[in-house]
Amino acid sequence: MSRPSGTNIALGVWTTLVFVFLFAPIIVIAIYSFNGGRLLTAWDGFSLEPFTAIVERPTVRHTVAVSLQTAVIAALLASALGTLAGMAMARFPGRWTGPFTLLLLLVSVTPEIVDGIALLPWFVTLGQDWSLLPFNNGYVRLVIGHSLFATAVVTYIVRARLVGLDASLEEASADLYARPVATFFKVTLPLVGPAVLAGGLLAFTLSLDNTVISSFINVSGTTSWPVYVLSSVRSGLKPEIAAVSTILLVFTLLVLGLVARVLKRSGSSVTDTMAVA
Amino acid sequence: MSRDNNVRILASHAGARAIRQELSRRHFLSLAALAGASAALSACGSGGGGGESSAVEPGAGATGGPVEKSLSIYTWGDYDSPEVIDAFGKTGPKVTLDSYGSNEELISKLVAAKGTSGYDIVVPTGVYIPQLIENDIIVPFNKDLIPNMAKVDPQFLGQDWDPENEYSVCKCWGTTGFVYDTTVIKRDLVTWNDFIDAMQNEASGKTSLLDDPQGVAGLYFWANDIDWNTEDMADYDAYEAEAVEKWAPHIAGFDSYPATGAMQQNTFALMQNWNGDSRLGILEHKQPDRWKWVLPGPTTELWMDNWCIPTGAPHPEAAHAFIDYVLEPENSFLEMDYIGYNTGIQGIEEMAKERKVELPEMIFFTDEQLATMKNGAVNEAQDRRTEVYDKLKAAASA
Amino acid sequence: MPRSASSRLPGFVLAVPAWVWLTVFFVVPFLQIAWFSLGEKPGMFGTHSNAVMSLDRYAEAFSPTFFTIFRATLWMSVTGTIACLLIALPAAYFMALKVPAHRRGLLVALVMVPYWTSFLIRTIGWKVILSSEGALAGFLTDVGLVSDPHALLNTRGAVLLGLIYNYLPLMILPLYVAFDRVDSALGEASKDLGAGRVRTFFQVTLPLARPGIIAGVILVFIPMMGDYVTPAVLGGAKGTMVGSLIASQFLTAQNWALGSAMAVVLILLTMLVVVLAIALLWGVGWLVGRRSRLVIGTKSIGTKKVATA
Repeated sequence: MSRPSGTNIALGVWTTLVFVFLFAPIIVIAIYSFNGGRLLTAWDGFSLEPFTAIVERPTVRHTVAVSLQTAVIAALLASALGTLAGMAMARFPGRWTGPFTLLLLLVSVTPEIVDGIALLPWFVTLGQDWSLLPFNNGYVRLVIGHSLFATAVVTYIVRARLVGLDASLEEASADLYARPVATFFKVTLPLVGPAVLAGGLLAFTLSLDNTVISSFINVSGTTSWPVYVLSSVRSGLKPEIAAVSTILLVFTLLVLGLVARVLKRSGSSVTDTMAVA
Repeated sequence: MSRDNNVRILASHAGARAIRQELSRRHFLSLAALAGASAALSACGSGGGGGESSAVEPGAGATGGPVEKSLSIYTWGDYDSPEVIDAFGKTGPKVTLDSYGSNEELISKLVAAKGTSGYDIVVPTGVYIPQLIENDIIVPFNKDLIPNMAKVDPQFLGQDWDPENEYSVCKCWGTTGFVYDTTVIKRDLVTWNDFIDAMQNEASGKTSLLDDPQGVAGLYFWANDIDWNTEDMADYDAYEAEAVEKWAPHIAGFDSYPATGAMQQNTFALMQNWNGDSRLGILEHKQPDRWKWVLPGPTTELWMDNWCIPTGAPHPEAAHAFIDYVLEPENSFLEMDYIGYNTGIQGIEEMAKERKVELPEMIFFTDEQLATMKNGAVNEAQDRRTEVYDKLKAAASA
Repeated sequence: MPRSASSRLPGFVLAVPAWVWLTVFFVVPFLQIAWFSLGEKPGMFGTHSNAVMSLDRYAEAFSPTFFTIFRATLWMSVTGTIACLLIALPAAYFMALKVPAHRRGLLVALVMVPYWTSFLIRTIGWKVILSSEGALAGFLTDVGLVSDPHALLNTRGAVLLGLIYNYLPLMILPLYVAFDRVDSALGEASKDLGAGRVRTFFQVTLPLARPGIIAGVILVFIPMMGDYVTPAVLGGAKGTMVGSLIASQFLTAQNWALGSAMAVVLILLTMLVVVLAIALLWGVGWLVGRRSRLVIGTKSIGTKKVATA
C-alpha cells in the first residue's frame, strides 16, 4: 500500500466529501421520518407513528416488495445479457459491432416515456392477441421494461473494462488447450468480475428507481414503490413514505456491514476474489 | 332551501355541446362497423360482453349475485380513507389499491390494455368521461345495485358528461383558487386579476402556477371573464401574448401540489392551488395564520372525480358493492375527512359542522360561490393550450 | 475435434441474446413510435392515427420553443456531465487504487445506497436542504454569499445540483471499474522510469482509464438529456427540460403523433451530440497517446513536456 502523502490525504478528504454529498438528502429524509405531523416536510414533533403506520398498511409494504423482487430479477437478467454482449464487443469485434453499438446507443437515448408508451400496446398484443400469457403478468412486464437500459449499461461497463486489457491471458489459456468454456469461466469471467458487479449494482438501482416506464406498463396489483410515491403527491406526501426509506437505508447498511465483517474475517474481498487473474 | 336542482350550476354547456357533437359524429361513423361486428358476434353466442354497446350488459355483468373475493381499484394516490377500505375489506373482498398520477395516464393505460387491465373501479375526472365512453373504456352501472346513489346531492348528479349517471357517480369535487403569504403580500387579494398583479409585483419570483396547461390558461380566462373552454383562437393569441411576455419572468415554479410540499418551507409566496391541497397545507403549517386562501372571482374552475367501472372488470359485483358502500353517508364522511374534498352526499356539510371538521369553508362552498365555478372541457383547443403552455415554460426558464 | 469446431464459432454469438432481447422489446415497439410520428391526431378523443401519412408532425416538432428548450437542456447536460466527471475522477481513483482491497466492494455498494429509494424522496430531501428556511440558506446569507435566502431553490444552480446528484453514481462506477484494472505495477514502472506522480497519472493511468471515462460520460449525459422530473422539482420554472415537452404531448395534449415526432427528433439530436463528443474524445486521446509514447521513449524531451501537459 502506498504511504500516506499529501495527495492521498487530499484524495481521501475529497472522497469523504463526495459521500457526504451522496448521503445528505437521505439523512434529511431519515430525520423527517420521525415526524408526527401529517405532511412529510412539515415538522410537527417527534413520533414513531410513521413506522407503526407501515405495519398497519399492507399496500406500502406490498409496493416495496414488488420493487425489490423486480429489481433483483431485472439486474440478474441485464447482467447476464450485458456481460455476454460486452465481452463479445471487446473480444470479437467485427462488422457486427457498428450496428450493435448503434442499437445500444438508441436504447440509451430513447426517453423513458417513449419506452413506456411503446411497450404497453406491444405487451397487450403479445399477451392478449397472441395469447402469450406471461406478458399479462405485471412482474414480467416490469422486469422487461427495466432490463432495456440496464442491459446497455452493463454492456458499456463490461466492454470498457475489457477493451485494451491484455487478451494474452485468454490466449495463453487457449494455447494450453483449455476448452473455450473453461477459459471463459476460469480466465475471462474473473477478469470482468468487478465490471459485472458494478453493472449489476447499477441495473438493480436503476430498476428500483424506475418510475416513468413502470407507471405505464404495470398491471393491477404490481404497483412499484416509486410509482406509489409519485401518485401519493396528490394528497400530500406522508412521513410514512420517509419511514420506508429509512428502514430500507438501515437495512442495507446493516447487510453491508455484515458482509464487510465476513469478508474481513475470511481475509479476502469481493474485488480480490473476482480480480484474481 | 335556496338550492335549485334544475340549475346545473356545475355544468359547462358549451363544452358539453362540443362533446355531444363529436360523439354523435363518431357514433355515426362507427355504426356501420358495429352492425358488421354484431353480426359476427351473434354467430359465436353471447359475445362475451365486450362493452361495445351500452344497453346490452349493464354493470359489466353484475346482477346482484355473490360478491367476488377480491376488488382492484385504480385511483389517485392515497385518495381514500384507509378506514373505509379496511372496513369494506372486512365484508369480504380483499381490496387492492393501485394509483396513477394523471387522467391521461389512466386513459393511455386503459386504452392500450383493451379491457385487460384487471381493474374493477377507476376514478377519472368528469370532463374525460365522454372520451372514456366513446372509446368503450367504461361500462354502464347496474343501478339497481347502487341504491345509495339516491343519497347523493342532486346538484352533483346529472352532469353534462353523463346526464343520467349511467356510467359515473361523484367521488368528490374541488375547485381552483390561490393561497398567499400575508407577510409578503400585505394587501387584500380578491380576484384573479389581483393574483396576476401580485405575481408581477410583491410575489415576483415567488409565484407558482398549476402544472397543467388547462389550469394556467384558466388563470387568464377567469381573470378576464372569458369562457375558459373557448375554442376561439383569437382568445388564445391574447392569452399567449400576456402570459409569455408579462407573466414568464415572474414565475418561480409550475407545481400542482405546492401547499402540501413547497409551502411548508415558505418557498413560494403566491400559489395557484386546489382547495384541498391549500387546506391541508395551511392546517399543517407552523404558522397557519400567515397564509390566506382565496376563492377568486369573477369565475373559476370546478372539477369532479367520479367512480366508474372499466370494461372487462373481473369483479363487477364487488365493484358495485364498493361504490354503494362509499356512498353511505357515514363512510362518505370518513372519505371527506381524510382527503378534505366534498364528496357531494346530502347532509355531509351538516355532519362536518357537527363534528367540528377544521376549515370547513375550504371544503364547502355557498351557492353564490358555486355559481362562479365551471367545469373544464376536453376540446379542440387542447393542442393550442399545450403549445402556449410550452412557450410559457420556455420563456420562464430563460 | 471439439476445440477447433467451437473456436470457429463466431465470437459475436455471445451478443446474440442481448441482440434478440433488445430487438423484441425495444426495436419493435420503437418502430411503432416512429410509425406514429408519420400520422396525426384524429379528432379530440383519439391519440394517434395513420390514416393520413405525412411529415407534418416533424415540421411542428421543429419549433422555436423546442430549440430554445433543447439548447438550455444541452447546456445543462454538458455542464452537468463535466461536473460529474470532475467530481467522480478523484473519488473513483482513490477508491480503486488507494483504499485497502477488502474495503473497495463496500465503498462501491455505499455509492449506490442513497439511490435505493425513490427519486422523489431524494429530491424532497434536497428541497428541504435548499429551502429558504433551511440551515444552508441561513448560513450562506449570514456569511454573505447570497443576499436573499430564496436564491437557492428554483434556480439554474438547483437544476444542475439535482442533475449532478442524480447521475453521479453512473459516473463513479464505470470510472472505478476502469481504474481498478490499471495495474499498479504499471504505475511503479512509470515511477521507476523517473516519471512523477502527476505525470504517471496523466500519461499512464488516465489514458488506460479512457474507455471507462467514455462509458461514464455516455451513461451520464444521455439520461440527463431525457430527464425532466427532477429538474422541474428543484428548478421550478427554471428547470424546464426538453423531455417535458415530449411528456406533455403524451400526457396532456394526448397527441401521440406529435409526441412521437418530438421523441424521434430528440433521439437523433442526442445521438449526433454523443457521436461528435466521442469523436472529440478519441481525437484528444489519440494526440495525448502519441505524445506520451514519445515521452516515455525519450526521457529528456518528456521532462519539459510535462509542464505543459
